[in-house]
Amino acid sequence: MTVGLNLVLAASAALFAVGAFAVVARRSAVMMLIGTQFMFMAGSIAFVAFARFGLGAVNATGGAAVVIFAAATAVAELAFGMAMAALIYREHRSLAIDADRG
Amino acid sequence: MPLIGALPQPITSAPLVILIYAVLVLMLASALASVFLRSTVFATGAFAATMVLVALLYLTIAPFLLFAVQLLVFTTVSSALLVGLLRRTTGLESTQEPFSREWIVGAAVAAAVLALLVVIVATTSWPVRPTVNAAAGFGATLANTYVVGLAVLVVILASAALGGGLLLAAPTLARPRGR
Repeated sequence: MTVGLNLVLAASAALFAVGAFAVVARRSAVMMLIGTQFMFMAGSIAFVAFARFGLGAVNATGGAAVVIFAAATAVAELAFGMAMAALIYREHRSLAIDADRG
Repeated sequence: MPLIGALPQPITSAPLVILIYAVLVLMLASALASVFLRSTVFATGAFAATMVLVALLYLTIAPFLLFAVQLLVFTTVSSALLVGLLRRTTGLESTQEPFSREWIVGAAVAAAVLALLVVIVATTSWPVRPTVNAAAGFGATLANTYVVGLAVLVVILASAALGGGLLLAAPTLARPRGR
């Protein structure tokens, strides 16, 4: 039993699908933000896997560096989404994204 | 700089392989729990657990600095932001969402995405190239190769912090007409 690129990529794909499900199926802004975080993390894991297992690894640490940027962007997106969710709650007393439909 | 380096090898050490399998299974399980739990508080806890497990995965296959940053910075900040949002809004209330049509649509979309990605991963023959310059440190790579990227990152994070603060500090928006 070994751990190679395909195993980590499959796990990454599964995590991305879980995030996509959360974004599509859940109405809560918090759950949608969590779903986007999962999708960001899935992409980051794929970058790390490609860097670790040597695909195009002219610089073996390049993939990990990209993960730093992706994760920081995800945190920035979370901060912005959190502020928007707080505004939605302030207006409608609900975190449901379709709360303004009445 | 050497022109030919060592080819990357899969991980074969039995304890490490078992650890990685366990981490991957637990990561997906906690992610699923985070999505399916009705209580937002518990879902946030499962999300934090997923972040910690991703950090553990990085510990096994990535530079140590990435593990440390993921665990100490991103996990902490993300969890703190979500807890802060909950404290400002619903608190410990549960968001009771009945199963609805959105769940079926979401499951279909997720299944389609997963099937597409699995087909791509399974059918693609990824080129394997020799790893050169592997001895270069991760910190040195960030500081030397990605200086501009780091600067852009600082701008993005500062903009997000400023924008989030302004949104939260802004007065309540006017209600839509007719309400």
